[in-house]
Amino acid sequence: MENKSLLKKLTASREVSLLIVLVVLCALISIKTPTFLGWSNVSEILKNNSTTMIMALGMLLVLLIGGIDISIGSTLALSGMTIGILYKYNHMSSTFLGFLLATVIGIACGAIIGVIISYGKVSPIICTLGTMYVYRGFAYLVANDEWAGADALGTFKDFALKSFLGINSAVWITIICYVIFFIMMKWTKFGRNIYAVGSNEEAAEISGINVKLVKTLVYTIMGGLSGLTGAVMTCVYASAQPNMATGKEMDVIAACVIGGVSMTGGRGSVGGALIGALILSVISKALPLVGIDALAQNTVKGVIIIAVIILNVVTQRMMDKAALEKREM
Amino acid sequence: MAGKSGRTIANTIDKPWKKVILSWEGVLVLLFIAINILCIAISPVYNATNLLRESPKYLAEMLLLFPMAYLLLLGEIDISVGSIVCLAATMACMASNAGVPFFGVVCIAIITGLACGAFNGFITIKFRELPTMIITLGTQIVFRGIAEIALGSGGSISLTDSSGFKLLNGKIGIFPYSFFLIIICAIVFTVIADRRNYGRKLYAIGSNAKTAFYSGIKVKQTILIAFIVIGVFAGLSGLFLTSTAYGANTTTGKNFEMDAIAMAVFGGVSNMGGKGKLYGAFVSAFTIMCLRIGLGQINVNSQVILIILGLLLICAVLLPNIAGMISAKKRTAK
Repeated sequence: MENKSLLKKLTASREVSLLIVLVVLCALISIKTPTFLGWSNVSEILKNNSTTMIMALGMLLVLLIGGIDISIGSTLALSGMTIGILYKYNHMSSTFLGFLLATVIGIACGAIIGVIISYGKVSPIICTLGTMYVYRGFAYLVANDEWAGADALGTFKDFALKSFLGINSAVWITIICYVIFFIMMKWTKFGRNIYAVGSNEEAAEISGINVKLVKTLVYTIMGGLSGLTGAVMTCVYASAQPNMATGKEMDVIAACVIGGVSMTGGRGSVGGALIGALILSVISKALPLVGIDALAQNTVKGVIIIAVIILNVVTQRMMDKAALEKREM
Repeated sequence: MAGKSGRTIANTIDKPWKKVILSWEGVLVLLFIAINILCIAISPVYNATNLLRESPKYLAEMLLLFPMAYLLLLGEIDISVGSIVCLAATMACMASNAGVPFFGVVCIAIITGLACGAFNGFITIKFRELPTMIITLGTQIVFRGIAEIALGSGGSISLTDSSGFKLLNGKIGIFPYSFFLIIICAIVFTVIADRRNYGRKLYAIGSNAKTAFYSGIKVKQTILIAFIVIGVFAGLSGLFLTSTAYGANTTTGKNFEMDAIAMAVFGGVSNMGGKGKLYGAFVSAFTIMCLRIGLGQINVNSQVILIILGLLLICAVLLPNIAGMISAKKRTAK
């Protein structure tokens, strides 16, 4: 066992093989466009995709317990729109309060979903399909046929222009979220409980984990992150509209799945989600640079998603087969 | 496979549960009547003529309902149908503008749908570990992406010669053709689901795919057929949608998959598979259509209608569950 070759060790871990894909991808693109890996470009990519990256964390948790949440785009719009309108009519001016309020709205939305799913035993896709309609509807009601533009947002939008230690503040939020979640998933009881529930719900229940509570909390966290992202998106793009982030949920799910998170639960990591989100953002930024028509971008993105998930299955089958052979000897 | 559904099979027949589920279709019929009375009360122009005049768009959407219900019965899901509708509509428009006779246009739309459905089905049966949700998430982006490429930078196409499509948009009395098509589909799909071999296979696989496999049912073949059927119907839906809009654009058929799933689930078809009746889905589709048109006539904001639909959907699943839990608690108390 000890003299495993380096190559084998590298390919055994999914995160490492994904990292190799990312590095190769970046290398190929920077051959064509040398400025691609320049600091300003990388910083721009990170800033513009901080929304997907933050929400990928929440989706990781949801997928880990075998659930799904397709209402996150609507939650994001509701919280972003609410603070946008509050700034527009000068009911609020503090930036911190904006972030706090958006997160609280998100937490409330997520908690409702969590309670319906875990205590009402409604299947996740149906429940979040319903709340997707409901929250989006509320976002339109809050907006009341208006939208908040750059002039209406006042000092709030300046937050995304500020940087600290040379890193944009929106990126800082992403980094802080990732650090917290990395520690939580790796070393806290709650994090390990999530994996336990995802791997085998009944076993987790019998070993004394409050499965319903864990599930509710996971959806609440997802909601909170979507709310936070609502504020981030509002200040990064300096606008809040009721139809913002329509279809974002699919991007986030795709990022997680590319990052090797299993949709049946129990398998996936924070690192995987990060790399998945990065691969997706690099692709969308790089396609125009390597001369692919903007019209073809979605097609290429979809093909890559399908290719990666099939590749995941094929490698998993090979790994299972290898493991079985080892046992037979 | 629906993944970890968490479903357990009880040894004894759960009577109160069964009662609730059996009566769900009854509740829907009552709801349908109630909503019609409500709409007549609130809207002065709500009558059969106006209802049917506004219906073709919803009827085109309803074409997807029955095949979607089949997939849900299998425990699968297809969220790419909206994109297939878009692609088929685009192809039909382009073919028609290029001078292809109308029969050829119909064939092209159906073949496009069939190819897309077959592709989904093929990947599903080849890689059974993958949930269909994620496969069709990928193909959803690809199919709409292809339509985007075909439509070019304008993002939309309009028919130069709409004479063929006018035929599809025709009416018998006040009833549009698609209305009759829906009725025929409802009957055929219900009979197949309840009385024919294929339909019973659907329920068997949806309840327990492994058991079905070991009892000699060709699981993969059944799933592939279901995907092809939904593809064909998405193609048809694209045709009918084109005949009402006289063109196609990149947002054609957006959210159709969600609406179809919502209608089926509201009609009592469980997305975990193996549970539900097609006539329930049929009644629920018409209930939702009447509600949308009725509220739309009195200028209720379409977003408020969205909220109502979302709440209805959640309640449709939540309330029977709560009723089941309460009755289960009562039984254990005894």
